[in-house]
Amino acid sequence: MEVTTRHFRQSSARACRDVNLRAVLDHTTRYFQSKRQASLETFEGRDAHFARARAARLNALSRLPELLEQLEANAIAAGTIVHWAADAAEARAIIVGIAKAASARVIVKGKSMVTEEVALNPALEETGAEVWETDLGEFIVQLAGEPPSHIIAPAVHKSRQDVVELFAEKLNLHGESIPELTLLARRALREKFLSADMGVTGANMAVAETGSVILVENEGNIRMSTTCPRVHVALMSLEKVVATMEDAADLLRVLPRSATGQRMSSYVSVLTGPRGEGETDGAREMHLVILDNGRSEVLADPVLREALACFRCGACLNVCPVYQTIGGHAYGWIYSGPIGTLLSSLLLPRSETRDLPFGCTLCGACKRTCPLSIDHPKLMLALRERTAGGGGNPIGAAHALLARHPLAYRMAVGAARAVDPRLDLLARLPGLPGLSRFVDSRRPPELKTPFTARRRKKTQKERS
Amino acid sequence: MSGAATESRAAILATLRKGVAAAPFAVPAPPARPASVSVTDSVSGDAWERLAAVLAPLEVRLRMAGTRAEAAKHVADIARERHASTYTRWDTALDGLGLDEALSSLTRLAPGCCQELAQADLGLALAHGALIESGSMVLVAAPGQHRAASLLPPASVILVPRRALLPDVSYLPALLVRHSVNGKLPACLNLITGPSSTADIELVLVRGVHGPGVLDLVGLDWDD
Ligand code: SF4
Repeated sequence: MEVTTRHFRQSSARACRDVNLRAVLDHTTRYFQSKRQASLETFEGRDAHFARARAARLNALSRLPELLEQLEANAIAAGTIVHWAADAAEARAIIVGIAKAASARVIVKGKSMVTEEVALNPALEETGAEVWETDLGEFIVQLAGEPPSHIIAPAVHKSRQDVVELFAEKLNLHGESIPELTLLARRALREKFLSADMGVTGANMAVAETGSVILVENEGNIRMSTTCPRVHVALMSLEKVVATMEDAADLLRVLPRSATGQRMSSYVSVLTGPRGEGETDGAREMHLVILDNGRSEVLADPVLREALACFRCGACLNVCPVYQTIGGHAYGWIYSGPIGTLLSSLLLPRSETRDLPFGCTLCGACKRTCPLSIDHPKLMLALRERTAGGGGNPIGAAHALLARHPLAYRMAVGAARAVDPRLDLLARLPGLPGLSRFVDSRRPPELKTPFTARRRKKTQKERS
Repeated sequence: MSGAATESRAAILATLRKGVAAAPFAVPAPPARPASVSVTDSVSGDAWERLAAVLAPLEVRLRMAGTRAEAAKHVADIARERHASTYTRWDTALDGLGLDEALSSLTRLAPGCCQELAQADLGLALAHGALIESGSMVLVAAPGQHRAASLLPPASVILVPRRALLPDVSYLPALLVRHSVNGKLPACLNLITGPSSTADIELVLVRGVHGPGVLDLVGLDWDD
């Protein structure tokens, strides 16, 4: 998809004015929050499970190079073909190469953010193959030619009526009710699964000690994509590795609950190599593509690398007042909400994402909600600092200090207003590094008569 | 691996190593994992009740069988309720339960390619583990234990031996090891927790979008 993060200000302003979108977002975010809340209330030992999940993710990040090598060795031993892709172009080239070698004419895909990240579909389509998104939500947005708008529910912005019209227009399939529409999609995609030569999925995790890829889903489309076609390709961003199956089990205890409020998703597949001898189904050829695309650089940053711990449960999106207001598309790339802001800022060129970290109220709802205790606001501030030129802004620091002391603040503002009532000359004052940058990014409040002066005036008026 | 891929591998690993060395991580030791269901509970009668209670909201019905004949009868009842005329089942793992006799009026489809098995109305498989805390059935694929049996037919039946009952997903590593053959892990292990489902259109729950729309369990409540 086209990256439009640089238009974040305009697109979020536009989204704010969209009343229908607001209604959909309200419904969606409340739905996910209530499911999650109900599930967590009965989750015995919740905090300990969350802490174990966080430890599993951080432990993996702390040993990333070693674990990736171990994963590679064990996956190869299990019969998986392992590839390394430095960037999106290399990932596309590898997967297109696999598709060509397999003479793949029909390719089915399970829901995967990372395949969207590398823009895989158009590259596969260029080989002449039919490429089908098979998760119902992804199928709908693919037909509509739109990007997904939520990590868990990609088509939440589409109404039933939208889907009725879309199926009629693009597939000549006619249904009215939601179960009917679902059945139509089942039939249409069943045909594709049965004729597919290749299945492409992401990976929720990969386990270094066993070489296994773990896939989590509710629909069964990922199981279909890995059971029927001859070839299975799993594209995994490199931070998804975990050290042990025990760590994976700890994460599985938390991920579905935090994502959809389920104790466990309908289907979890632990795939270790292609089908074994004597088996009658499952891919005969399994590929694991390990993708970097900018992540390895992030590991050296002691603050920002925490974003790599995320396992994409989507909970932080649902509680974020900004996401609740503007939805997923306004963020301009596949990743949205608090974690999306962080990932886009880390993975895309800085010039494309300057505004993203400023689209945050720093309310901290994301941090409080994240089962892995990722400190989004802290990371957001670090990104703002980086955007502002790194190393912090002395003017900003002085402003923060003053703001903590109301009397000093009033005196300083009063003095500044005395010489520059609208505070529009400040930015042009020479000799103060960072001042123009600081003032540029703020709109000072209108100059008002102080409350005490207004009260005095009112009393005088009443007396006279 | 091609030359470019080898280069990428080396470059990625080198950058990661540099990153870890530049800013080493301090990972706090995790707390002990809280127990969900005690292991002794999991082999008592309570375990079946707990499993049934966890599965009820998922519209999964657990029928208990005290004998092989009773299990076969349950399966025949399910086939009737689901209006099945064809079925596919795991081989050796389910031999000896008299299922083919109980389903003699149905056509059995042999394991094979997905195209053929997509015609099956009912799929029968055996749980190697039943995780009480989440209601998940653990199915390990192997020769004669085809993945499609619990995936392609619109109705799925999983038979659950008493010995399969386990507390929770923390037993996943042990299950994988138990089902290794000559040190090789099974190529596919599935956790199945309820029927296939989606809520992708207006968040309305619909069962059976790609996998089975209904899942029935038969508890085999005897020691073997
Ligand atoms: S940052 Fe935390 S809450 Fe947000 S998607 Fe990732 S794991 Fe979930």
